[in-house]
Amino acid sequence: MAKRKNFFFIEKNGEEYTVSMTPELQDDVGTVGFIDYLDVDEVDEGDAFMNMEAAKTVFEAQAPLAGKISARNEEAEDSPELLNSEKSEENWLIKLTDVDEEAYNALEEA
Amino acid sequence: MNQKERLIYLVSYLMKENAQGEGIAIEPLLPLDENQLMTMFRGLINTRLPYPISDYFLEVQDEFLQEWHSERENNTLEDMIEVDSQIYLWQGDITSLEVDAIVNAANSEFLGCFIPNHRCIDNEIQTKGGYQIRLDVAEIRKEQGRKEPIGRAKLTPGHNLPADYIIHTVAPITLGKISAVKSYMLSDCYKSVLKLADAHQLESLAICCIGTGQFGFPQEEAADIAIQTVKSYLQENQSKLKIIFNVFEDKDLEIYKRKLKVNE
Repeated sequence: MAKRKNFFFIEKNGEEYTVSMTPELQDDVGTVGFIDYLDVDEVDEGDAFMNMEAAKTVFEAQAPLAGKISARNEEAEDSPELLNSEKSEENWLIKLTDVDEEAYNALEEA
Repeated sequence: MNQKERLIYLVSYLMKENAQGEGIAIEPLLPLDENQLMTMFRGLINTRLPYPISDYFLEVQDEFLQEWHSERENNTLEDMIEVDSQIYLWQGDITSLEVDAIVNAANSEFLGCFIPNHRCIDNEIQTKGGYQIRLDVAEIRKEQGRKEPIGRAKLTPGHNLPADYIIHTVAPITLGKISAVKSYMLSDCYKSVLKLADAHQLESLAICCIGTGQFGFPQEEAADIAIQTVKSYLQENQSKLKIIFNVFEDKDLEIYKRKLKVNE
């Protein structure tokens, strides 16, 4: 069961919440050429966690939910175009833990 | 120095720099009038990368720009009509506004406009405010170590402008095709600008039509986003900011008048 917020999908697997781009956002940013994770381990909702330079835009991604960043897509740091993939195992941005489940449940269904 | 002498100094400084000090004679500049010299100066300064420049150059430039601004009429909030609570609508050149801050529609490179004599707002603001603005934004860009993302806002001093500050924001490039993401990003530009103005306790803020010019956000829809975002921000945050919607084109004036229900 995935949820969405501001053009991100959030998928819950146990205690871990994976944040990825919606196809809509992928379309609008274009081919991703460079990504840069900010040096933050904990985010509040709306906090920036990464910067992305893509063909059509320079984009600062902001956390859809508060939580601890438990993983970053390190492969995408070397091959940013993975973020344009349709596969969720390739195009994810971060994984969050310590997320308030109620806040997650309140999000719109994907 | 009078205005013409200042311009000749500024132009020959920049020409010498381009020619690495060689072969530039001042004589061909002498018959040119002030407008022609101003065009040359603008074209040259527009293309100069943000490297350090001599203090004396900046001094002469500041004297020139100060006098240039004093020769025309600045516009203040008192000259404008409040069309809604805290909201003003005004058509004209944003660089003539004597307000706390004006908004610049920048681009992600965040160094200003490099097209000589281009009539975009970024070029207009950097030219009329002074070369220091390019150095200021270059410093911001250097410190953050990356291009400026869409939808954020950065504040710099206004230097020679009648406005105290400039708030720079980068709109999405839309080129006529609206999407939900781009509408969200445009609204984000307004929100970030307003938040930053309040964080600096500004009282009056002139906002241009962000994203509509070169970046091609359709004007009608952009105006809806602008007005809606501003009004809900002011309400939700009980902000006391006085907002001037600063339009330049007649079409934008017509659109904003209609949407803000301004009677003639």
